Amino acid sequence: MKLRKTTLTIFAIICGLFMIAPIYFMMIGAFRTPETVFDLSLLIKEFTFENMKAVFDETNILRAIWNSLFVSTTVTAVAMIFHAMSGYALARLRFPAKSFVFAWIISTLMVPFTVIMIPLYMVTQGLGMANSYLGLIIPMIFNAYGIFLFRQFYLEFPTELEEAAYVEGLSIAGTFFRLVLPLSKPIIVPLTIGFFTANWNNYLWPLIINQREELNVVQIELANVVGGGYETPWSIVLAAALISALPTFVLFFLVQKQLVEGVKTTGIK
Amino acid sequence: MKLISRNRKKWNETLTAYGFLLPNLVGLTLFIFVPMVYAFYVSLHEWNALSPKVFIGLENYKELAADGRWWASVGRTFIFTFIYVPALYCLALFFAVILNGLKQKYQSIARTMFLFPFAITSVISAVVWMFLYDPRNGFINQVLNAFGLPSLEFLGSTDLALVSIVVVFLWINLGYNMIIFMASIKEIPQDYYEAARIDGATPWKSFRFITFPLLKGTSTFILIVTTIASFTVFDQIMVMTNGGPASSTEVSVIYIYKQGFEFLNMGYASALAVVLFLIIFVLSLAQLRLYTGKKEG
Repeated sequence: MKLRKTTLTIFAIICGLFMIAPIYFMMIGAFRTPETVFDLSLLIKEFTFENMKAVFDETNILRAIWNSLFVSTTVTAVAMIFHAMSGYALARLRFPAKSFVFAWIISTLMVPFTVIMIPLYMVTQGLGMANSYLGLIIPMIFNAYGIFLFRQFYLEFPTELEEAAYVEGLSIAGTFFRLVLPLSKPIIVPLTIGFFTANWNNYLWPLIINQREELNVVQIELANVVGGGYETPWSIVLAAALISALPTFVLFFLVQKQLVEGVKTTGIK
Repeated sequence: MKLISRNRKKWNETLTAYGFLLPNLVGLTLFIFVPMVYAFYVSLHEWNALSPKVFIGLENYKELAADGRWWASVGRTFIFTFIYVPALYCLALFFAVILNGLKQKYQSIARTMFLFPFAITSVISAVVWMFLYDPRNGFINQVLNAFGLPSLEFLGSTDLALVSIVVVFLWINLGYNMIIFMASIKEIPQDYYEAARIDGATPWKSFRFITFPLLKGTSTFILIVTTIASFTVFDQIMVMTNGGPASSTEVSVIYIYKQGFEFLNMGYASALAVVLFLIIFVLSLAQLRLYTGKKEG
């Protein structure tokens, strides 16, 4: 029994090593010379910062990281407020046509982004938001999934607090913003992680809606660095990949626990 | 007096509710509902984005019915899905069960390792694997050569490219799906396994008759969500092969993108998008029921 457990542990760790190997090779490749980048070894024979320097000199990767940060953070922050408000209204408040409104919101879940990408491009362009931060941000905010999960959370939220607040003469909006929202962390944390990573990861929408180079997000900038040519300068490409991965690496180790716990909240239900 | 105040309260509640819903109602209408309707409208037109739209009825649909390249892309999307979804499902479940049996310390180390690819973006994963797959010097070919096998053109051959891309998707999504399974397995009461052990059940039988049936809800969830995602893959394919070589990785979304934004056939591309929507409609319905139906898993 004990032997089997040891075997399984070793097996799992070896498979885990294979899982992280591609990322490890990216990391060391970023510091290898162009001649040694394909050395099949776990060590760096000739260490160099030249690739990093080339990335900073020849690409706009820092600007692109800033653009991605700005876009993803803004989308997430606005989405959290809007979706919390809507979720709260759908879970707690009584108003005419409520079930219709809910059904309508939820039905938008059935439309995959790829199906509407062309008309969405036209609508956004028609609103004068193409090639701007607004075009990158605003259409990405609205998401029935977020509204739905907030609603689920508020359906199970204890009512005593709000009743006490009403007795004190606080308005509905006042109660929500001052009492309920600050207590919504258990749902805001996993959804913030989810929205931020999804938007950080977005490639197709920025590809469609923005042609201005200075507004390139990091996904686009990196795809441009690798290009399509046969003579890919791999050491430089890997350095660019590593730089663009750093923000989410940091995030990953900060929020890994919440990510694992959040699976229950955002994944299933 | 009381009635008036109650009416006022009700009115107040309605007003607040719609106030709270307003931004999303406007946004969802403008950026999902209108585009959906507009997609259908545009699909009835000949339109290259520069000249005015010309109404042509169902011509685009007739054209796509006979468009071999389109149906080939649909077929490829199905092939991709039939390889990717079962493989991801089995691997995620397999490793969830394995990791679940480990000591807490090793379990969380292994979990971090499996989840790590989740920390990089789709384009980074594409770039890293293009490096590993490099036909001349890539690490995978170096390993093959070390075993006396010939080098392979992973992304450059029409036979291997699609499967090579499936591997990238498996790699990046395995960890996340695995932890969904792990979370569900943890909710199964330990007594069941105790009882099974006393009755002399082997680990395989415990899995087959306890774990697997009790994961039905989670399994359904993962299968539906993964299948929909698989029908709409884009990023890695666009970066790694751009649909090539010789269209061998041109799945439906890539073809729609090319028709719309490269050939500027907006009307025709919209018709293709509407058909793709219909193809995955049943899946979307199932997904919707998953969210609104009974809580499972």
